Amino acid sequence: MDNRWNREYDAVVVGAGNGGMTASTQLALLGKRVLLLEQHNIIGGFSTSFVRGRFEFEASLHELCDVGSSEDPGGVGELFKELGVEVEWMSVPEAYRLIVPEKNLNVVMPFGVSEYIDAMERYVPGSRPAVTKFMDLADEVMRALQYLAESKGNPDRKVLMGEYGNFMRTTAYSLDQVCDAVGVPKAARDILYAYWCYLGVPTSRLNFTIFAAMINRYLIKGAYIPRYRSTEMALAFERRFRELGGTIECGTRVEKILVEKGSVTGIVTASGERIKTGHVLCNASLPRVYGEMVHPESEVPEMALRSMNARSVAGSGFVVFLGLDASPDELGLKDYSYFIYHDTDTDALYDGLYRLGRPTVQAAVCLNRAVPDCSPPGTTIMSITCLYKPEAWKDVEPKDYFKLKNELAGYFIDDFEAATGCSIRGHIEEIDIAAPPTYARYTGAYQGVIYGYEVDSWDSLMPRMMMMKDDIYIKGLRFASGWGFRCIGYSSALQCGRTEALLTSLDMDQEKGGAAS
Amino acid sequence: MTAKQLKIKVKGTLRDLLAFKNLAKKRMQRFRKAPATRYSSLHVNDLAARLHPASQNLVIKEVRDETKSSRTFTLAADREAGTGEIAYFQAGQYLSIRETVEGCAITRPYSIASSPADALNGFYEITIRKTDKGFFTGHVWEHWKVGRKVVASAPMGQMFYSPLRDSRRIVAVAGGSGITPFRAMAREICAGGIDASLRLIYGCSDEGDIMFIDEFREMAKAHPDRFSFVLVMSCDEVTLEGCEKGFITGDIIARHSDPGSDSYFLCGPDLMYDFVTRELVSLGVPLRRLRREAYGEIKNPSRFTGYPSGAEGKTYSIVVHGRGKTETITARGDESVLVALERARYAPPSACRSGECQFCRTLLLKGDVWVGPESDGRREADRRNGYIHPCASFPVSDLELELPTAGTREG
Ligand SMILES: Cc1cc2nc3c(=O)[nH]c(=O)nc-3n(C[C@H](O)[C@H](O)[C@H](O)COP(=O)(O)OP(=O)(O)OC[C@H]3O[C@@H](n4cnc5c(N)ncnc54)[C@H](O)[C@@H]3O)c2cc1C
Ligand code: FES
Repeated sequence: MDNRWNREYDAVVVGAGNGGMTASTQLALLGKRVLLLEQHNIIGGFSTSFVRGRFEFEASLHELCDVGSSEDPGGVGELFKELGVEVEWMSVPEAYRLIVPEKNLNVVMPFGVSEYIDAMERYVPGSRPAVTKFMDLADEVMRALQYLAESKGNPDRKVLMGEYGNFMRTTAYSLDQVCDAVGVPKAARDILYAYWCYLGVPTSRLNFTIFAAMINRYLIKGAYIPRYRSTEMALAFERRFRELGGTIECGTRVEKILVEKGSVTGIVTASGERIKTGHVLCNASLPRVYGEMVHPESEVPEMALRSMNARSVAGSGFVVFLGLDASPDELGLKDYSYFIYHDTDTDALYDGLYRLGRPTVQAAVCLNRAVPDCSPPGTTIMSITCLYKPEAWKDVEPKDYFKLKNELAGYFIDDFEAATGCSIRGHIEEIDIAAPPTYARYTGAYQGVIYGYEVDSWDSLMPRMMMMKDDIYIKGLRFASGWGFRCIGYSSALQCGRTEALLTSLDMDQEKGGAAS
Repeated sequence: MTAKQLKIKVKGTLRDLLAFKNLAKKRMQRFRKAPATRYSSLHVNDLAARLHPASQNLVIKEVRDETKSSRTFTLAADREAGTGEIAYFQAGQYLSIRETVEGCAITRPYSIASSPADALNGFYEITIRKTDKGFFTGHVWEHWKVGRKVVASAPMGQMFYSPLRDSRRIVAVAGGSGITPFRAMAREICAGGIDASLRLIYGCSDEGDIMFIDEFREMAKAHPDRFSFVLVMSCDEVTLEGCEKGFITGDIIARHSDPGSDSYFLCGPDLMYDFVTRELVSLGVPLRRLRREAYGEIKNPSRFTGYPSGAEGKTYSIVVHGRGKTETITARGDESVLVALERARYAPPSACRSGECQFCRTLLLKGDVWVGPESDGRREADRRNGYIHPCASFPVSDLELELPTAGTREG
């Protein structure tokens, strides 16, 4: 190693959020020398928690998709097993309660495909055939994606056409378009679409494939959360990564990713340390990587910039955390997960994300319904989440910030009370409010965005998978996060990190092969 | 239904397959059409950085003797050092001052005594009481003059008014220098920045050492509907009129407020904190109407039940794994692990020194610590994975730990 460098690693992972944690653990498992750098003083990124008084609040996770039970794990459950990361999972009792006060809609939907279809039939008589068809189609989508993953990017066209024709014919379309084709009645769609806000794109644009895969996994595998908030998951990764010989440094911000002639050569930390590596996996936001970190600027290919400008970033979060001094039973909080919408038209709801007025959307969670002892006896932990587009926060000044947060939080609490009939206000012992600047502050996320790019049909899972090679604009620079090819969401980020690590390892093998020949 | 029986078409089989085939091409076309520019705005991150700067470079603009034992320092942004503006805050929050004293890099939290409106006008005030043989306050009295540069954290802390949680009648119970956050609140309330009223119950031990007394009298006169106060004097001879005598008790609190509906905010020395908390609880005040400032550094761990007897007189060794090197230092049983690290000339991160803010979060590899009952602000997963908050942890055996890197947070 020449003296320009302080240290050298096979790979450096920039940021220890969901994607960074799986990427680093997978690489360490393959015996690579990995350095995991995190700017905050704890790993996890959005997978974290914080303490206020007698309560410990989950910062972001509502429910993790595709974990499954220990006997019947899903893809994410397998990932944890294969990486050797142990988490105590608690199951979420039901899929969701959806309330749309303006439409007198108030339904509870269970997990399990047939249970879900039965419930739908009860709420929307006559919906069974179409909803069954939709679920069969979603099942084919999921199997097709599994086949694509197994074929490692080289699927047999004949198998695709023969076995997964419906998947192929629907993957270029939006959720609305496919529901039209399947003939799902409007009243059933109103209920079916509830999960849209987890993806944050209106159903007129939201890609069908990604939605279908999500609902399929939720209904078949249920949903889980770690017993001790997502910090438990983060620290389980940390323990495993250390055990595998990985080096982890918190409180270390990467300032530059050094590139020479189109290839990564190393990184520079905020304190000026120069670390040599040919492989950087970024959990840090894609726009900030190309916008600020790649050095020199001239090494950022035009297409990388164009690719960013062609897409639009999904939402940032707004969360009201409540520690309540009464039990869920006393408060009348029956369910774990509540979606409360002021319309069934997701375009109208989505437009509301651009305004800092009365909100149109909320997703509330009563944590005790999955983890009964998450707070002391006789208390409850609740959180109410909404998305905002970064644009909405454009003119907010520090002097308005705290008042604004309280005002918005007040709307969310009022809405929740009005929709559920539960009385919350008189029981607030602790309250904290996270807004887009909060997410920006703790993770450095571009514009506080918690998701990544919107999953329109033209830029969803399939086109991103088809273009995985094209999307590498700098050799040795990959993205392990919700900004990556798996698109947005906790499970996606976890899986994305792992896949990118496996691909990095293949890159390394090829380099070695190339050098030997 | 099996996959074979299911046949979905959206726009027709051929068009659907073509749409599939063209996905990559179409995406590439969209990319090509977009401009090759960097992002144009980072306003959310900028707002975050203005609200929560990693640190603030300040300069002392004015020094004023507040009472015989306390001084008020006016601090403004040190533009020369690169701080363009001071961060806005919520009345009740504190700054953690970072300074090197006798070669040791330490921190000390001080409540902001001026109002948020003052911050918009470019200054903070902190009022420091000189403690007997105080390690930091002694240094302040000697060195903090007009023009001196001071480094502070962003405003932090959780003791501020929440319109969604608190009663609009706030009762502040303060002892000694614990008065400072309430001066900020009183100013903010009188200026109309918070829509609530403040009743202050203020315990002092010396008539010549009552902070902000003239100002409180003026505010109470000018805004009787928003601000009032009662002094509780614990000295033997009291000449001031209209005071309560003795220490702040439940009786006194009940006489001057309504425990059935008011919200209580508490800030004062540890013994008062423990006593008044018990009194309020026995008056039936639920925790949701009780806000308490961070507990402060524990000075005398052996006064707590549960602290292993004899440990305070011992010394222990701590193996410290820093970046690239390992050293062994000694620690006193009656001082926190944080102080031991600071004495050994490490500069570990910290801010609240009360176990609450988690800035000092450290991985303990071996050994046992005792943690103060009011000061265990750890996450459950941290606790289960060997993490400690050194500021609130006292060694009760030899230890081995991994030194944290200062958390450089940016916007
Ligand atoms: C949230 C909060 C707000 C506060 N606000 C105010 C306020 O507005 N006004 C105010 O006056 N006070 C305030 N305080 C108290 C303040 O932070 C200090 O504790 C106080 O000023 C005493 O500081 P000192 O160093 O002089 O005291 P000391 O008692 O001398 O110092 C405390 C510690 O220094 C350690 N020490 C001694 N020698 C060394 C050495 N060589 N190296 C390292 N450490 C050493 C000691 O072990 C001891 O633990 C606040 C505290 C908190 C928690
Ligand atoms: S300094 Fe705040 S927890 Fe230790």
